[in-house]
Amino acid sequence: MTEEKKKPEQSGSEKKGLGRRDFLQGLATVPVLGAFALALSRDLSYERKRKAQAFSHARKRTGDVKEVKIALLGAGAQGQVLMDACLKLPGVRFTAVCDIWTEYNQRRAARMLDKFGHRVNAYEDYRELLAEEKGLDGVLIATPDFWHAEQTVACLEAGLNVYCEKEMSNTLEGARKMVEAARRTGKLLQIGHQRRSNPRYLHCYEKLIRETGLLGRITSARGQWNRAVQEDLGWPQRYEIPESVLHKYGFNSMHQFRNWRWYRGLGGGPIVDLGSHQIDIFSWFLGANPAAVIANGGTDYYAKTTHEWHDTVMAVYEYETRDGIVRAAYQTLTTNSSEGYFENFLGDQGTLHISESAGRGGVYREPQAPQWDEWVRQGYLLAPEKAGQATRADAVLDVRETIAPDRHDIPVIFNDPYHMPHLENFFDAIRGEADLTCPAETGYETAVAVLKVNASIEAGRRLVFDPREFHI
Amino acid sequence: MSETRFSSLQMTALVILRALIGWHFLYEGVAKLTRGNWSAAGFLLESKWIFAPVFKWMAQNESILRVVDAMNIWGLILIGLALILGCLTRTAASAGMLLLTLYYLSTPPLVGLYYAIPSEGHYLIVNKNLVEIGALFVIAVTRSGQFAGIDRILGRLTGRSRR
Repeated sequence: MTEEKKKPEQSGSEKKGLGRRDFLQGLATVPVLGAFALALSRDLSYERKRKAQAFSHARKRTGDVKEVKIALLGAGAQGQVLMDACLKLPGVRFTAVCDIWTEYNQRRAARMLDKFGHRVNAYEDYRELLAEEKGLDGVLIATPDFWHAEQTVACLEAGLNVYCEKEMSNTLEGARKMVEAARRTGKLLQIGHQRRSNPRYLHCYEKLIRETGLLGRITSARGQWNRAVQEDLGWPQRYEIPESVLHKYGFNSMHQFRNWRWYRGLGGGPIVDLGSHQIDIFSWFLGANPAAVIANGGTDYYAKTTHEWHDTVMAVYEYETRDGIVRAAYQTLTTNSSEGYFENFLGDQGTLHISESAGRGGVYREPQAPQWDEWVRQGYLLAPEKAGQATRADAVLDVRETIAPDRHDIPVIFNDPYHMPHLENFFDAIRGEADLTCPAETGYETAVAVLKVNASIEAGRRLVFDPREFHI
Repeated sequence: MSETRFSSLQMTALVILRALIGWHFLYEGVAKLTRGNWSAAGFLLESKWIFAPVFKWMAQNESILRVVDAMNIWGLILIGLALILGCLTRTAASAGMLLLTLYYLSTPPLVGLYYAIPSEGHYLIVNKNLVEIGALFVIAVTRSGQFAGIDRILGRLTGRSRR
């Protein structure tokens, strides 16, 4: 350094060379580094503890995992999602893939699997697959809803365990046959309500709802899935499926094949595609099936000829829980994406906000509720964030308003593909190491609850569930 | 330059100020490092005012962004260590001023500019970055490292410290 200024304060160290005083004063700030290191190590170990808690839900995989041989039925968008998640799991081997769009979906999936070292046989007709493929342990079914019942029953009867995407079936008769086939054959049938295996949801259910009951008496629930406007799905002209093949598999046209979710008799519309995931959470977290539902909806925006199912649905459920009545409002929009998708549970002591979307979620304590410090110490919740942080600083609170509650984050981090834990649960069940988190009976109960929404819209009135409806 | 005399108390105050700023820099760097997935991209993309195109360009160019991220992390850590230890104090303080000036120019709190990244207060032209730049200016032009810091030892060893 070449500073020019003089400092006269060290009158005792005027001599040349390094004196004792120079040495001590030169190192005077080193202890600051020690304090920093101490503070940092505490900071890091706190973070580590948080992460450890977050991942304690993930099963530790050690040693060899017994290999499970599976086939994929339906290699469209959802089939690809399942396949991608499976490719991240140890001990899963694809041996066959089936899709009627042989030139596109089937070829793409087979190529992808080949790249990951899975040698697969490709089929157009699932019956052929079942006849040819021996030694399979399980099948993943991600075909359109109206195929689920027939394919699931056939696979179960062929002695295979089945992971079937939701909606279980587009009809209750179909869903019923699936449950009966699972019971008859003794094979596993997992329905693809993947939140049931999501560690964040499991934490909320087990710790926050069941163990601590920190929401108090839950009086209502709210859920939504709002999506922005989307074009109808198209297809490359040169890969069009021949009409005879489309007819053979129950489709009138290529447009219908690509957009089956909107057609009656094939799918159930957004309330079934999207809503069933979340209405399933209502029943799970509330520990009850709904007692009644009233719904309103219609095709308000898109062409009715290509969108036979409702593009907009609003439904209100009533649940009779052990603690009393819970009213749950659910909506699905396909014309606006405001606030995306989430489920809310509102109790007299707090609110749980949860979404499969990993960045969202939080627990809010009502101002008059007992403190939650104990749950923060136990790691069930993260420390609260300052109240009202999100509100405008210059907003004046009206005396009639309740002050904004503190927000606690959910301490479980989940960054894997959404379907991965649910698939893993299925494979572990095949290995005899776990129980299914969404067996056929559970999927059926949700199908009953969800399909009643469309019925209520048709009927134009409130429909009451007979508790026996949910059981076979 | 006229001779200015500082009392021991005044020098001690400067050393404390230097260590506090050093701690702030060091932790900003270490926290970004330990988080693993930190990137300046979010901050840079928020940039407004006349330099915004430059900062946004940094964020959108992947290889540039990687360099920017690494320079940020290691710049903060090294400046922080140097300030705490009083080692090459003037260089460290100047580098810190430069870094903070870049932060300031990326998202200056000027009239009519609003940012989505939450800040914990309300600012008009002067924000905490600018205050810290001012504080580092003080550190850069005073010789607190010669009073308490490695610079004192270096100066004695190289004989360049004048008493």
